[in-house]
Amino acid sequence: MTTPVTTRIDPLRTTRVAGVPRRRKTPFVAGAGRRTTLAAYLFILPGFVIYAVIMLYPTIQTVLLSLRDWQIAPGADSPWVGLDNYIRAFQDPVFLNSLVNAAVYTAVTVPLQIIIGLFLAVLLNSKLPGRVAFRVLFYIPVVTSWVVVSLLFRYIFASDGGVANWFGVDVLHVFSGNISWFQGRWTALFAICALGIWKGVGWSMLIFLAALTGVPQELNEAAAMDGAGAFRRFWYISLPTIRASMAVVVILLVIGGFNVFISVLLMSGGGPGDQTQVPLTYMYNQAFKYLDFGYGAAISFALTAIVLVISVLQYWWTRRQLREDS
Amino acid sequence: MVDSRRGLIVSYIVRYALLGIAAVILVFPFVYMLSTSFKARSYVLDIPPTLIPKDPTTANYAQALGTADFARYFLNSAGVAVVSTFLIVLLSSMMAYAFSRFRFPGRRLIMGTIIIGLTIPTMMLIIPQFLLARDLHLLNSLPGLVPFYVGTALAFNTFLLSGFFETIPRELDEAMLIDGAGPWRRYWNLTLPLSKPALATCAIFAFLGSWDEFAWALTVLNDTDSRTLPIAIALFQGQHSTSWGLVFAASILAIAPVMILYIVFQRYFVSGITTGALKS
Amino acid sequence: MKKHSLIAAGLAAATLIAVAGCSSAASTNGSSGELSGTVTFWHAYSADSPEVQTLEKTIIPAFEKLHPKVTVKDVAIPYDSLHQKLVTAVAGDQLPDLVRSDIGWVPELANLGVLEPLDSTLPDFKTLAANTYSGSLATNLWKGHYYGLPLDTNTRVLLYNQEVLTKAGITSAPQTLDELIADAPKIKAAGSYAYADSGAGGWNVLPFIWSEGGDITNASVTKASGYMNSATTVKAVQKLVDMYKSGYLPSLILGDNGGLSTSDGLANGTYATILDGPWMYPIFASQYPNFTLHASQVPAGAKGSVSVVGGEDIVLTKASKNKAAAEAFLTYLMGDKAQLAMAKVGQMSVLKSLGSQLTSINSYYAQFVTQLKTAKPRPATPAWTQIDSILQDSVRAAIKGDKTAKQAMDDAATQSDALLAKYSK
Repeated sequence: MTTPVTTRIDPLRTTRVAGVPRRRKTPFVAGAGRRTTLAAYLFILPGFVIYAVIMLYPTIQTVLLSLRDWQIAPGADSPWVGLDNYIRAFQDPVFLNSLVNAAVYTAVTVPLQIIIGLFLAVLLNSKLPGRVAFRVLFYIPVVTSWVVVSLLFRYIFASDGGVANWFGVDVLHVFSGNISWFQGRWTALFAICALGIWKGVGWSMLIFLAALTGVPQELNEAAAMDGAGAFRRFWYISLPTIRASMAVVVILLVIGGFNVFISVLLMSGGGPGDQTQVPLTYMYNQAFKYLDFGYGAAISFALTAIVLVISVLQYWWTRRQLREDS
Repeated sequence: MVDSRRGLIVSYIVRYALLGIAAVILVFPFVYMLSTSFKARSYVLDIPPTLIPKDPTTANYAQALGTADFARYFLNSAGVAVVSTFLIVLLSSMMAYAFSRFRFPGRRLIMGTIIIGLTIPTMMLIIPQFLLARDLHLLNSLPGLVPFYVGTALAFNTFLLSGFFETIPRELDEAMLIDGAGPWRRYWNLTLPLSKPALATCAIFAFLGSWDEFAWALTVLNDTDSRTLPIAIALFQGQHSTSWGLVFAASILAIAPVMILYIVFQRYFVSGITTGALKS
Repeated sequence: MKKHSLIAAGLAAATLIAVAGCSSAASTNGSSGELSGTVTFWHAYSADSPEVQTLEKTIIPAFEKLHPKVTVKDVAIPYDSLHQKLVTAVAGDQLPDLVRSDIGWVPELANLGVLEPLDSTLPDFKTLAANTYSGSLATNLWKGHYYGLPLDTNTRVLLYNQEVLTKAGITSAPQTLDELIADAPKIKAAGSYAYADSGAGGWNVLPFIWSEGGDITNASVTKASGYMNSATTVKAVQKLVDMYKSGYLPSLILGDNGGLSTSDGLANGTYATILDGPWMYPIFASQYPNFTLHASQVPAGAKGSVSVVGGEDIVLTKASKNKAAAEAFLTYLMGDKAQLAMAKVGQMSVLKSLGSQLTSINSYYAQFVTQLKTAKPRPATPAWTQIDSILQDSVRAAIKGDKTAKQAMDDAATQSDALLAKYSK
């Protein structure tokens, strides 16, 4: 995660988009002469061609594919079917179920990642000896491959001999017998959510930590002089300052939540009986298991549209909030 | 005075305790994985779990590197990641340079299309990309992964770098311009050297992205010889469903370089994020 | 009924072979020019298994010695991923030259139009086919053509852990399912599960359904209603449901990804019995050298002990760019030498010429040979993988208690009918 390419599953790459410096525009170096125009195009051309072929063209193709009953054989005629694939999707209990699963995953993992991440950031936001070591440790799950940690959590949640069951049964005594985590929908989602949170807290911690260093120290000290406790200072001084970062983190985590893929694919495989499918695993199955490319494309696009609408609403809402405050 | 000092000590203790708990939870799975990778098959799912393996063995590593051919997958991943990283950093810094230093017709339009790329989850494109790769004969080919890794990473890195380039004073460019330096020289001899931290951040994330990428490689690669580490590990697990020691030995080999890279360059990881966040 | 269909298929096979033989009697092998190039061969032999060792260290080098300019590139893909990988390769036009395909997938691949009909393209087809068992050969038949040759056969027998049985006070392996159910409380008291399986698809539950006298489709594989939900099929499913409810069956059958695998569980005494194939012998021998494996026939039901035929066919793809060399390797794999080498590591040959030797190569084949006499193949239809997953989901729903066994199987039959209708013309 936090990396451009793995964002097939995790758009958290946009980590630092939040932090891209926005400076007052300074004048351009060279004017609009013909030579500079040519130079600019030459600088842009190689990258843009690759970008256009690999990203823009497939984006348009996704929409076009979703309107056809796609036949995989090269040169075969693929009839236009209009919105049939979309109608089918919204009548398909498995797809609807997969949206619910993704929504549950998002609803569980996003708040917890934010709360825990923020909590750790606050703890680390001081001249504590060894804070760098902790920060480095907390971020380790974030930089580790999704494949490896998904398999690792499958092992931890193994029904016989898994650490999760040992901890629950023999140490905490919260459940009486071993739970077969991946056999039921909710227990499987629990394990998948646990991984999502575990892997993600380091990322939100780091963003919050960066945002917290922007909290004016004089204000904090002045408030402390006036007798404000740590919690009050956090609530009235720190929190408002990191509001903007918080909004970005929420939006990115929600996008990432709905696009969960590798962990589900490798931990439950969407099973048992399609019960833990999420939109992307279901799309992947439709395309690469049943060769229904048109339907798969429709699922992809529907998911992206849903997530886009949610993000725009969030953005609009936070903008309004911030404006009201200022 | 004494009171506040005691308060400080208590607050330290509480903080360290909380941080310690968090550290244990976040790091324990890795320690457990490391320990399992040194266990013989029969001890792998022992209850209660043991952190110090009984009769530790390096057989899992020997097998992963030997018969399971993980040395080759390692080289495959490294090759793809290095080439992709180089191209990502080069091409996105060139684009970013153009956006931050030139005014030209279509600038806003091109930047707009690149911003669109930031909002598209790559997974959404896997079906048309698959058909595209088929038509371009890039399926089942290790070098064929590179254009896809580069293409999907360009938008973000261009955006990141143009933000950084904006912070470099124009006066420096103008001084070089007066000396008669062309755009390429200004880019290569001035902007790039001044942007080392940002380029390093880009390179690290680009490398990690290519190194860890799974879904695309899983879909397009077939031959045993051309597998990258993530798919080799996933398929390996499929074949050794319960040989967790073996699976984790292979996994450790795969994540070790990333860990080293991360610990050595963690300053860049953080500074990349921190400087950005501070400015906003 | 099923037996008749096998014989019928066998007869059809014989006729077709005769026809095919006439059209291409002349062999193009031999001195017509030296073969060269690469042959890619996909299979699902487990990594590091004795089977893959034999393939890579004995068979392929021997073949390459015969044809020094040919390189065989074998690609091991886990069984669970192979089907999807094949389908994706169809979409990407990336199929290898040869595939060792599960016998159940051949109709589906043939129906996609990606396989060469071997009966009309392979010169030696007639001779090769004539030396294989007709039941196995019939799994390659789709719409009047043979799209492959049987590479190996197998079936599931009851494998058991005698120590667990002894501990439970049971002296001999259960001969019938009712005996197993009667023994189950004692085994449970001794701390083990009576029986374990890792899924509820056709490969897993058909032995119980067939042994009871039930079925899942009619003989011509056009209809599931009246078979998949017949009273006897439901009765067999109900027995599994009851065993699960009584705690005799671990949740592994529900697709528990984190469960102890059947082989590990059998070896460490968690499971008393499992059903599995001959390849498990070498695997147990290498992973659990101290464990003594015992075998017996599938526990019988009202209609005797009827297991499920497994096995693989080898198919040649239309996409192959090197058909001559691919055919040569295919022919080599069908030869006595290769088949004998594989037989030593747990792969049962389908060659009539080796039939009598099998048990002397490995004495454990005896149980499998006996079991194969009554074993039945899964229905040959392109819809099989989908019907298989419907069957699995339905049986699991019944086991979990989401539906009654009757309801579950009724629903499965209705869904399967719709799929079968697509291919019944």
